[in-house]
Amino acid sequence: MAILTANELERYDRQIMMEEIGQKGQEKLKNARAFIAGAGGLGSPISIYLAAAGVGTIRIVDQDRVDLSNLNRQVLHWNDDIGETKAGSALAKLADLNPTINVETSCETITDKNISHLVAGFDLIVDAMDNFPTRYLLNKAALDMNIPFFHGAVRGFEGRAMTIIPGKTACLRCMYKGPIPEEKFPVIGVAPAVIGSIQATEVIKFIIGIGDLLENRMLVYDGLTMNFAEYKIKKNPNCDHCSYSM
Amino acid sequence: MSIKVHIHKTHRQSTDGKEVVKTTGNSVGECLKNLVETYPGMQDVLFEKNGKLRNLIEVYVNHESAYPDELKKAVKDGDEIHLTFMLAGG
Repeated sequence: MAILTANELERYDRQIMMEEIGQKGQEKLKNARAFIAGAGGLGSPISIYLAAAGVGTIRIVDQDRVDLSNLNRQVLHWNDDIGETKAGSALAKLADLNPTINVETSCETITDKNISHLVAGFDLIVDAMDNFPTRYLLNKAALDMNIPFFHGAVRGFEGRAMTIIPGKTACLRCMYKGPIPEEKFPVIGVAPAVIGSIQATEVIKFIIGIGDLLENRMLVYDGLTMNFAEYKIKKNPNCDHCSYSM
Repeated sequence: MSIKVHIHKTHRQSTDGKEVVKTTGNSVGECLKNLVETYPGMQDVLFEKNGKLRNLIEVYVNHESAYPDELKKAVKDGDEIHLTFMLAGG
């Protein structure tokens, strides 16, 4: 277990004060390795809060370049970053936010060919994607490699989150009915801000081993009515991704 | 026998803006059939042309997933059905 430096003890003082975290919890965060798939609307708050909390190693993969139309929600990227890779932009911001952690970024597409290589050695995978096919690739890889998977998705003022523990909980594929048409989804930045923060909260709780995770329950947020609803999700005995682990 | 069906806000243009519609039936399928009889616009919202529930649509009964075979899921007086849809954005 890595020992915290004097600088880190000061940096994380306010959360080390929390009885649920303490110095031991902070050391767990320092030793943790988080893989974040996407540096967009969800990836921005997820990576910012995990970096700020002191997660020791963060790898972010995103294939895109920053576009003007991203800036209403992707708060890692600023006006001067337009045209740059999101990976490069994310690396610069997160390294500046917290130089005591290791941030690795890669500008590439996540595929069925490279996914196991990309996530190997990581303690957890965070879903910050904008499409179902890649989400299902991540879900399958997480289950196959026994890596917890933190799902999140948004549309408009809405969002949802669920935590998947291989061999224990329902997975993202347990309610799969078939392919879903792609759409250019509407969204305002505060929706991924809420959902990304919930995903980051789940990750921190998981790393430290505290609280109750969103296991077998989909948390659905509606920013317009400012309501949270919770739906129970059952593990599907015929799921083509996770049924082997029942 | 009364079952409340909660309509997602995106679909309320097909229910005259109603958020909750009271209907009847012994299964989710019967309830949705009655819903469509009252609000025909919900047919295309919920179902493919072959009558299959759209892949995007999620059905919850009393806040529990009704998957799989959602339409065959039995319901009783006082139950609540929530109709939502999967989100892809990030």
